[in-house]
Amino acid sequence: MVLILLVIFGISAVFVFPTISEAASEEKIFVTHSGGVIKTTGEIIDPVYVASTMEFDPMKYLREFNYGDVSELPDGTVMREFTIIAEDDKILEVSPGVFYNVWTFNGTVPGPTIRVTEGDLVKINFINNGSKEHTMHFHGIHPAEMDGVFEIVGSDGGRFTYEFEAGPVGVHPYHCHVMPLEEHIVHGLYGVFIVDPKEAREPADEMVMVLNGLDTDFDTENNFYAANTIPFYYQHHPIQIITNELIRVYVVNMVEFDPINNLHLHGNLYHYYPTGTDTVPSFYTDMITLSQTERGIMEFEYTYPGKYLFHAHKVEFSEKGWVGIFLVKDDLTQESQTELEYGN
Amino acid sequence: MIVMGIIPFILLISMMVFIFGPGSYLLDLGVALPEITIEKIDFIKSEIQVTVRNTGPIPVEVVMADVNDRIQPAAIEPDRFLERFETALVRIPFEWNTAEPYIIGLTVEDGTRFERAIEAAAPALTPNLEFVGFFAIIGTYVGIIPVMIGLLWLPFIKKLSKAKYHFFLALTVGLLLFLGIDSIEEAFDVSVENLSGSFNGTLLIATTIVLSFLGLYYTSEKLTSKADSLKISKPIAIGLMIAIGIGLHNFGEGLAIGSAIGLGSIAFSSFLIVGFALHNTTEGLAIAAPLSREKKVIKKLLALGLIAGTPAIFGAWVGGFAFSPFSSVIFISIGAGAIFQVIVIILKWIRTEGDKNLSSAAVASGIAIGMLIMYLTSMLI
Repeated sequence: MVLILLVIFGISAVFVFPTISEAASEEKIFVTHSGGVIKTTGEIIDPVYVASTMEFDPMKYLREFNYGDVSELPDGTVMREFTIIAEDDKILEVSPGVFYNVWTFNGTVPGPTIRVTEGDLVKINFINNGSKEHTMHFHGIHPAEMDGVFEIVGSDGGRFTYEFEAGPVGVHPYHCHVMPLEEHIVHGLYGVFIVDPKEAREPADEMVMVLNGLDTDFDTENNFYAANTIPFYYQHHPIQIITNELIRVYVVNMVEFDPINNLHLHGNLYHYYPTGTDTVPSFYTDMITLSQTERGIMEFEYTYPGKYLFHAHKVEFSEKGWVGIFLVKDDLTQESQTELEYGN
Repeated sequence: MIVMGIIPFILLISMMVFIFGPGSYLLDLGVALPEITIEKIDFIKSEIQVTVRNTGPIPVEVVMADVNDRIQPAAIEPDRFLERFETALVRIPFEWNTAEPYIIGLTVEDGTRFERAIEAAAPALTPNLEFVGFFAIIGTYVGIIPVMIGLLWLPFIKKLSKAKYHFFLALTVGLLLFLGIDSIEEAFDVSVENLSGSFNGTLLIATTIVLSFLGLYYTSEKLTSKADSLKISKPIAIGLMIAIGIGLHNFGEGLAIGSAIGLGSIAFSSFLIVGFALHNTTEGLAIAAPLSREKKVIKKLLALGLIAGTPAIFGAWVGGFAFSPFSSVIFISIGAGAIFQVIVIILKWIRTEGDKNLSSAAVASGIAIGMLIMYLTSMLI
């Protein structure tokens, strides 16, 4: 009897009490946004305030525009040729320690920003190196057979050439259009397609923000939200801009599952051009609401230097990663301050 | 001879090595999914502490914590890597509000999120003297006092005829049968709510009950057969075994009350206290019944009452300060096994006393009425 009880207690003790670490490491301290201090002998798991470096670099993506291989046709039309390769086997660390199978155009989510001028001939050499069928479907005006819906491109090296005249002026998404469509989109097969007007817009510090979500546990609810894929990235790595310079943001909402997304800018208002198709702004606001693939152009300048948040005012999204900071300086050469202290 | 006994083991081990060993592809199919279970959530000042266990078939990494599905910075001790069955403590700095519901989520490396809901946040109990005393008082109310009150039926039972006496013995069987079934149900509840599938909750409960039953049964047989040499009468020995069995069961009841208070369901636990107190009065009857033909038993009776009642205090301490679902399931199951052991002893006693007859009207009606009484008082819990 005693023996049995001893055995039972012994076994339960093994299960019940947390395993004690062999190596008691030194204490680490971390400070939360509201100033709470925690000392721990363990590890800090904090995607919110601890900066981390990922394979995908949202800072590089932010201002990277691809104009293609440019050539001129006999009739004087500019032809811009792009090669886009689809893959679906990549495992990407999307947030510290979280690994997710992304489907990519040219290896990244979002895919490369394709930038052309209205009237250009756009030629896309599309290669599907994935294990599933994929296509490229551009929003914009083009012939039906260039729509990337019925012309399914087979896996493991299937090819298709999309060719159309760029238009209309504005900012548009492109994405895979193979069914089940939601699956192909949420895994990351999308990107931004910018059509510049023939008469160029006013010079500005231009950037692209794709608002997206990641459903890492496949329950049709997003576990993470972000501007440009990596949650909290621009909070850890503020976007540096200078005072009184025109900032132009091409923003595209690719969030699935949630009916809306939005964008709120702190300490400022912006001129907003829905879809970027008009030269006159429709709103002067600090808050726009975007449905799926809804997009537009934001233009603003900051007068005062400092740190300004931008984030979804659907706060759930910002608390899951869709939040960033503009670090406004009088002069970019002044000492860089990328490490932000919280709680002070 | 020994070799013949070992050969099957050697063959078995070789087979295991062949199947699971390195370079074996035989079972390399299917996808092993990570699984963690949040076993416990404590609300302390400006912080939520989460005890998590790897209950899946493969090692996992806990990489993120959230409160109400909003990502929060956190610390994990000792580290974020959990081998099978290993636990870790996740500490989330959070200004929580008393009595509000919370859902705590943890995400592992493949992006899967596991969560657990708390109905109402309440400060975790710290084992200071005040609470130790508080639980001791509650344990006394629930365990000792009702059992003692139940013992007061002794003079009444003493004056009964044989048939009526058997009726009361059978009545206690009914009471205990109900308690035993009740304990099993309780063990299943705790297991389903808190234990992951990898613990095989159902079989854990069954195994523990059987082991507990066998252990006590063996002890009780030894005790009653040696009763004479130990200078105690057989009825006293039976009474002692009943008291021990009920004591183990009351430990489980104390556990339930302590953990209910510890988890913040104060209103629920005051119902528990009233219900258990009423319930347990009948346990006093169970102890008193076999002793009713003895003389000068007052002191012994008091001792038995204490044996049966006091464990409720210890149960309340453990439940309140060191609640762990796994040990709760174990303790409640031990209690259930103890109860069934007591039932068998009493039935044997009736059989010996009652001319080897268990099917008399007194016995049948006693068991039936015992079950009914318990069912009615159980509705108070």
